[in-house]
Amino acid sequence: MGTITLTDIRLADQDLNNLPLLKSLRQKSLSAKTEVCIERAHYITTFLRDMAVRDEPMEIRYARAVNHFLSNKIPLFPDDSLLAGTTTSKPFGAPVYPELTGLTIWPELDTMSTREKNPQFISREDTDVLNFDVFPYWMEKNILEATRAREGNPPCMKLFERIVFFIASKAGTISHTVPCYAIALESGLEWLIAEAARHEEELMGKGSLSQDESHQLDFYRGIQIALGGIVAYAARLSAKALELAAQETDPARRKNLAAMASVCAQVPARPARTFREAINGLWILQIAIHAESINMAISPGRLDQILFPWYQRDIADGVLTIQEAMELVGCLWLKLNDNTNLVPETGEELFGGAGTVPAVTLGGINENAEDAVNDLTYIMLRVTELLKTRDPSMNARYHPEINSDRYRDRVAEVIASTKSVPAFYNDIAAIKTLENQGIATKDARDYAIIGCVELSASGRSYDASSSIMLNLVSALELALYNGTRPITGDEQIGPATGTAASFATFEQFWVAFKTQLRWLIGEAVQLNEMMGRTHQGFLPTPLLSALFEGPMENGQDLIFGGARYNSSGATHIGFADTVDSLNAIEKGVFIDRRCTFPELLAAMKRDFEGDAALHAYLVNRAPKYGSEDPIAVKNSHNLLQFLYQTYQGYTNYRGGRYRPAYWTMTNHAGQGKLSGALPNGRKAYRIFASGITPVSQAASELAPCLNAVGGINPLHIPGGEAFNLKYSAIKDKDDLQKFSQAIESYFRTGGLHIQFNIMSYEMLIDAKAHPENYPELLVRVSGYSAYFKDLNDAMKDEIITRTAYDLKTGRSVPFPVQQTGMLPST
Amino acid sequence: MQGPLPLVFDIHRFALDDGPGIRTTVFLKGCPLSCSWCHNPESMSVEPEIAFYPDRCIRCGSCRDICPELAITDGPPLQIDRLRCTTCGRCADICPTTALRMMGKEYPVDDLLEIILRDRHFFEASGGGVTFSGGEPTLGINYLSRLLAALKAEGLHTAIQTCGLFDYDRFARKILPFADLIMFDIKFIAAAEHRKYTGRDNESILKNFKLLASDAGSRLLPRIPLVPGKTATPWNLMEIASFLADLGILRCDLLPYNPAGIAKRLAAGLKLPTDLPDAPLGVEEEDDLRNLFFNALHSLSKSRLDAGKYSDDPQGGLPCRSTSIMQ
Repeated sequence: MGTITLTDIRLADQDLNNLPLLKSLRQKSLSAKTEVCIERAHYITTFLRDMAVRDEPMEIRYARAVNHFLSNKIPLFPDDSLLAGTTTSKPFGAPVYPELTGLTIWPELDTMSTREKNPQFISREDTDVLNFDVFPYWMEKNILEATRAREGNPPCMKLFERIVFFIASKAGTISHTVPCYAIALESGLEWLIAEAARHEEELMGKGSLSQDESHQLDFYRGIQIALGGIVAYAARLSAKALELAAQETDPARRKNLAAMASVCAQVPARPARTFREAINGLWILQIAIHAESINMAISPGRLDQILFPWYQRDIADGVLTIQEAMELVGCLWLKLNDNTNLVPETGEELFGGAGTVPAVTLGGINENAEDAVNDLTYIMLRVTELLKTRDPSMNARYHPEINSDRYRDRVAEVIASTKSVPAFYNDIAAIKTLENQGIATKDARDYAIIGCVELSASGRSYDASSSIMLNLVSALELALYNGTRPITGDEQIGPATGTAASFATFEQFWVAFKTQLRWLIGEAVQLNEMMGRTHQGFLPTPLLSALFEGPMENGQDLIFGGARYNSSGATHIGFADTVDSLNAIEKGVFIDRRCTFPELLAAMKRDFEGDAALHAYLVNRAPKYGSEDPIAVKNSHNLLQFLYQTYQGYTNYRGGRYRPAYWTMTNHAGQGKLSGALPNGRKAYRIFASGITPVSQAASELAPCLNAVGGINPLHIPGGEAFNLKYSAIKDKDDLQKFSQAIESYFRTGGLHIQFNIMSYEMLIDAKAHPENYPELLVRVSGYSAYFKDLNDAMKDEIITRTAYDLKTGRSVPFPVQQTGMLPST
Repeated sequence: MQGPLPLVFDIHRFALDDGPGIRTTVFLKGCPLSCSWCHNPESMSVEPEIAFYPDRCIRCGSCRDICPELAITDGPPLQIDRLRCTTCGRCADICPTTALRMMGKEYPVDDLLEIILRDRHFFEASGGGVTFSGGEPTLGINYLSRLLAALKAEGLHTAIQTCGLFDYDRFARKILPFADLIMFDIKFIAAAEHRKYTGRDNESILKNFKLLASDAGSRLLPRIPLVPGKTATPWNLMEIASFLADLGILRCDLLPYNPAGIAKRLAAGLKLPTDLPDAPLGVEEEDDLRNLFFNALHSLSKSRLDAGKYSDDPQGGLPCRSTSIMQ
């Protein structure tokens, strides 16, 4: 249980001026250019192609490949950081995972260095290595092609490749999870290796082994080999630091290098003895996971809890000051920013501006339901407030009955100060939601956030929370057009559920919509299952499995369901636009009878050209999600419940349930650009609303909006939600207090998550027009943080047009008249 | 409840200017005064009204076509013949843009309570509550009384904003027991000016204030609207300061003038007085008047305290009225 000993929880006397190291590292990090790193692709490929013993089991072969890479990985010290180790061979690198999604950049190797949006630099020599050495080997063997070959190019795969229905993020295989770092830091990898060896010997002692047991044997061997790679990498770091220290003339640098040499000689092989060793050990483990699995949302979890014992001991022993702790935490934050995803140009539309979204979670309660906020929580909040960097993705937990108002107010203050982070979670709703998923209470209380907003019983639950991204509007269109969509023409894609003229009641249309949705979900789940099975056959993950609770005891890799808990996440795009369209159909066609259903579709087909009165009615008078209109409340709740029940009916290849979620990254802007006009008055090819956020400018009153979103049953959204709320400004202490109290109220209503942008329309419009004046403007997208300048135009417009509320009136601020062309309904 | 219910013309949720914390403010229609500067002119009449916001109108003609009295003629700008209009509200119902809006709607007590209670978490998180404003909320005193009593039973903080013109005995029985805060407007002490700008005498208003100063104690909060050239004169403020000091009252809100009333009058088709200021006081001028007012209030109170007329307030530490003086 955390006790607060800080005299000032705001740590106001600590800033970047008395933390010059963080100031200079931050500047470097912000100005770093992305370079493609082929080191991993090279070592993994050459090992599997040229060095692996063919008849060895895959568990062993892949573990050896990972070990081979880590044992040869360059020990790079690119700056004066206090922490040793880099994710890639570049100061700011985008690693290539050719066996997963890496091949998508093959056609762009010659252009990606110079493309206009977020270029990623690759040298001529490295391009040649990928072109001639690496990519050809994986052409038939990457997960997509392997699945296609295995399953005979199934229809669900073709549906996925149209992009406009759902996206199978499973192609990234293992990603989006919170490992368990505490055990490795407390006991050391040598102990974990010994554990695996003990299990191996036990099995060997049995004599003849069943097929399962022989798999277990391979798994335990794989763990030892893979973890051995991490130990080798740390040893290389230690040796290199020692070598550099010997050459270094600057005494401060020499001292730091010597310290890193000693740290890396201890961790992560052996137990961490100091706060510095714990932090550096954790960082090396994070790097190592990326040697095996793709750098997408591998989330370190509750760092204020995990690292606290070392912090507390060092402070008590007088070997650590608060300032030094802040420096170490700051170095870790900046290290978590040292890599990014390899993004092809088309990917910019869907994920533009994202980092790798390693999520850090602070505060909340502990396993015994006691206040877990401690001094380190406040140190991490202050570092976040000072650095204002894209990653790590910061999340604050808050239990309205157990955590203090002082803590809540402090988190609110950091949000006001950074204008966007951390995101805020309600412990009562989150814990209840996880318990409902079969997570033991003690484990649910120890939840952490994955990536954007997903809930996970950290270190125990393998959640693959980003397995499916499904476009709800596509199902709506299939229902409107009898199984076809405007973007895919006359082709019959979904089942024939009736033409608009055939629906005599709203109920009938609702049934048709559910039929389309159920079918689409079935296709998406089927593809995910196929990829999961391919994955099991070819990409075991002994390294990550060793850093998890469950696999070691069960003798089973994560990918075979070895974790204590399992699930797959399916997130949804276009929620608010879909609900508002249902509302508009129910009220406009079947209650107010402003037009017939075919007339509505005809108007949509003309993009409402010549239908000003009908269009105005749909925009202004039809019920809106985000208000307390009973029709809007009913339709939103019904849709959430239907999706919940449908997904929970499926069990995945690891034995876990599917969990629906509502976060969209930038997909709502990208998918919006591919969809026709909608019944809610949104015009063709305009953005959708983000996450579970109401449609921009649709909910004009703050209190009803918070009540409507807070009134959603969190049990129905076990995968998490992104509710993006914008305030035009927090001008004074009074505003700050109301800001914090409104959060409290939203949580007491039952809201699960909320995150903010504190920005006016005018400022954002100016930032779009003059990006050079806003180089560091950080915005909350729909889960993750991004620098505004890195976003594509559609996504910028989406952030600009999000309803901004005035904290002084509780009402929406009028959107600037001369810019209304940006709004989705104009 | 007998007869028609008082009409509600707005429910402002997340209101921050009408008492402590985050509040829901309910605006009721109808006022016995007719202050020229009223920033809620749509609240003056007890009857429903149709408001028109020309900047929202797309001239679709739906309202013209549906009006049974043929009271609407196409513009631009669109015209409502207010003499023909029976405020049936069909035009506002059909209007796709909400350029036409019905001002004034009946809410049975339970319906209004249900809406108010939706924001209970906001009240609890912020120490807020519910405020009844207007118009003059005590015009429908039975309705108001039932609402306040029900809200008190729910444990919520209640407040009213009043112009002070009411029957004191009924107020004392029906409102006083259930109101935690009574925001009481004082516009003028001089009878002639009060009559000139509000259309009514202030004799009973000032009498009611004095009675409340005794019976409501610290729950009474006087408020002065600072209307440039009208209430916001040094002379008037000195007179009010003296009036309050006599009663031992040191707390008072000075409210900046809100010119929103001008646009609202136009929307509701009401006459626009010619001498209405179009902006609040300048910052400096307002500061000067505030200083003048509070200096006067404090020094007058002090001199009266020194004369032995007051006892110390056991709670607030400020000089306050001793009950004996009022008797």
